[in-house]
Amino acid sequence: MPIIEVKNLTKEYNLGTATSLKDSLRHTLAKLQGKDTWQRERFKALNDISFTVEEGEVVGIVGHNGAGKSTLLKHLASITKPTTGEVIVRGSIAPLIEVGAGVNPELTGRENIFLNGAILGIPKKIIQSKLDEIIDFSELEQFIDTPVKRYSSGMTVKLGFSIATSMDADILIIDEVLAVGDLAFQRKCFDRMEEMINKQNKTVIIVGHNIRQIERISSRMIILKNGEKLLDASPKKVSNLYYELTNKAILAQQNNKIDNNINATAQSTGDIEFNNIQISQNDTICESSIVIHQPTKITINFTSKREFYKADLSIGFHTSDFVYIATFNIGRKITYDIKKGINEVECTIHDLPILPGTYGIRLSIVDEFAGILWSKEGIRSIAIDPGEISRTMLSMESMIDIIPAWRIKTAR
Amino acid sequence: MITVAKNLYQYRELIAALAWKNIVVRYKQSYLGLLLAVLKPIMLMAIFTLVRSFIGIETDGTPYPILTFAALLPWIFFQESASEGVSSVTSNTALIKKIYFPREVFPITAMVTKLLELAISFFILAALMTYYQIMPSIYALWVPCIILYTMIIALTISLFGAAINVYYRDMSQLLPVALSLLMYGSPVIYPLSLVKQKLLDEQMAGEWSNHLYTLYTLNPLAGIIDSFQRVLLKGMAPDFNALAPGFILIAILLPISYLFFKRAENWFADII
Repeated sequence: MPIIEVKNLTKEYNLGTATSLKDSLRHTLAKLQGKDTWQRERFKALNDISFTVEEGEVVGIVGHNGAGKSTLLKHLASITKPTTGEVIVRGSIAPLIEVGAGVNPELTGRENIFLNGAILGIPKKIIQSKLDEIIDFSELEQFIDTPVKRYSSGMTVKLGFSIATSMDADILIIDEVLAVGDLAFQRKCFDRMEEMINKQNKTVIIVGHNIRQIERISSRMIILKNGEKLLDASPKKVSNLYYELTNKAILAQQNNKIDNNINATAQSTGDIEFNNIQISQNDTICESSIVIHQPTKITINFTSKREFYKADLSIGFHTSDFVYIATFNIGRKITYDIKKGINEVECTIHDLPILPGTYGIRLSIVDEFAGILWSKEGIRSIAIDPGEISRTMLSMESMIDIIPAWRIKTAR
Repeated sequence: MITVAKNLYQYRELIAALAWKNIVVRYKQSYLGLLLAVLKPIMLMAIFTLVRSFIGIETDGTPYPILTFAALLPWIFFQESASEGVSSVTSNTALIKKIYFPREVFPITAMVTKLLELAISFFILAALMTYYQIMPSIYALWVPCIILYTMIIALTISLFGAAINVYYRDMSQLLPVALSLLMYGSPVIYPLSLVKQKLLDEQMAGEWSNHLYTLYTLNPLAGIIDSFQRVLLKGMAPDFNALAPGFILIAILLPISYLFFKRAENWFADII
């Protein structure tokens, strides 16, 4: 029997503000007289969602802002009720929906541990026995008897997470909590999550935007879009779809943007003005997509107000979340002098090794002392297509496609 | 009603923790602390005693200051519990939007929180009784029942008011005004025996007198205040005739108020 069952869940909200007492009375009167003319506009936050979760599964729910992720979690935690449809949960639930909801600024850390324990339904005895462990995990020994209002925001969240994960529930609901604290603490939270999932075999519903983390931790993922379930499949398939959607959104934004803006937003000394970038393969100019493993030519055109000797120019590829994949600079090969007036640089990649996806191109021009003259990320977005190669033959878990020579040796 | 009791038991630790939080938060960083809480009945007692010296109110031989203090004690407990209860849901927005537990925990917590201030007022009452040399009789054992009954009345108002207040914040503004008006309709400044004497014995309002008295005692606080004074100061059993109309009213209203709250509860997180 599935531990969570969601059947045809639909949630509608009224748009606009809640009405005043006067308006409500007037509309009630109108209704009584049978003149029900007034209807507020309705918004479907969730539209006919159905899925089940078996015990021990870790389900990641992703989607862009406003896709309905948090609304779905609210239904699982029975904070709100569906407009139509049904949500059945068989087991106790620990909602970590925004950790620290119950943290009171006036109370000390220790007092808050007990208060939040009670709010989450943890018996006082258990809190008492786990107190040291909680304080230890939160790394706040020194400040535990100080009111939380004097804590930094990171400290507050650390405290909240430490309390919430000490709860012993069948189902954990996590909303964006992995993005708390500094990197070291994030690592620790992540380890704690993995331990709960692997060793204690808990059912976990996790929601967020950090797709890489969620993909790693989940056994299944669901992607929502505008309140509808788009795909319910393996983490890899879902995250690929997520990236595809993100990239589409970025390309759409790019096309809407006026390009003369680029110079205004770039980090620049004002000496150099970027004119344009052109990408071509096999002597045809490519507007939005290029093909993997093809010779690729990138042409950069800019205007300089002065001369710069021994300057350097680098071009790079990055993902939509700004992970730099590759950067290459002209200075490594030749001494490069920038002349006054229009300059053009042509860069040819013999075999483009970047795996299909949508990427940004960044450009950076520096002077002889490595001082930045002009630099900007995402001056152009470009989609890389698999071309002739079948998508299934390409690994989707990485970014660079290396084609090595293989040799099989067998001992006789 | 059985589920209410079950929930109450299941969430007793939460109610205790939230009540404790309310108290700690209110009195942290304040030196006078709880003493401020009992300032209100003492001040009112002083003012009423002063006013009475001009207009004269019959008290059946019990000293007026202690009589009015014994009236203020349950009255203020009721008034503050109800006011706090009505705004208890809206003042916990963060919790309502994040975590689910039965929402009646909030109004109940508000009642429990006020018990502490009531307990301190009892010390003052004890001091006054020592001063006026009044010994409590065996009937004082009624006091816990009377307090519990007061809490139930405050809860009846709170459940209904708190649910309304989520939709229309007017409620938390209106209620204190309405309650301070109700104080004049309750035997706080004057004793119930005076009302009884005027209406039942002297038939002041003619043929309407008996009905008016029933209407007066429909206010459950009339019976409560009178009983409180009787069992503690006069060494008499509660006057059940004065308690009955109010009790029937509450017995009808409490389930309605509770069901109303439970129905509205489903949309709290969406509307609040």
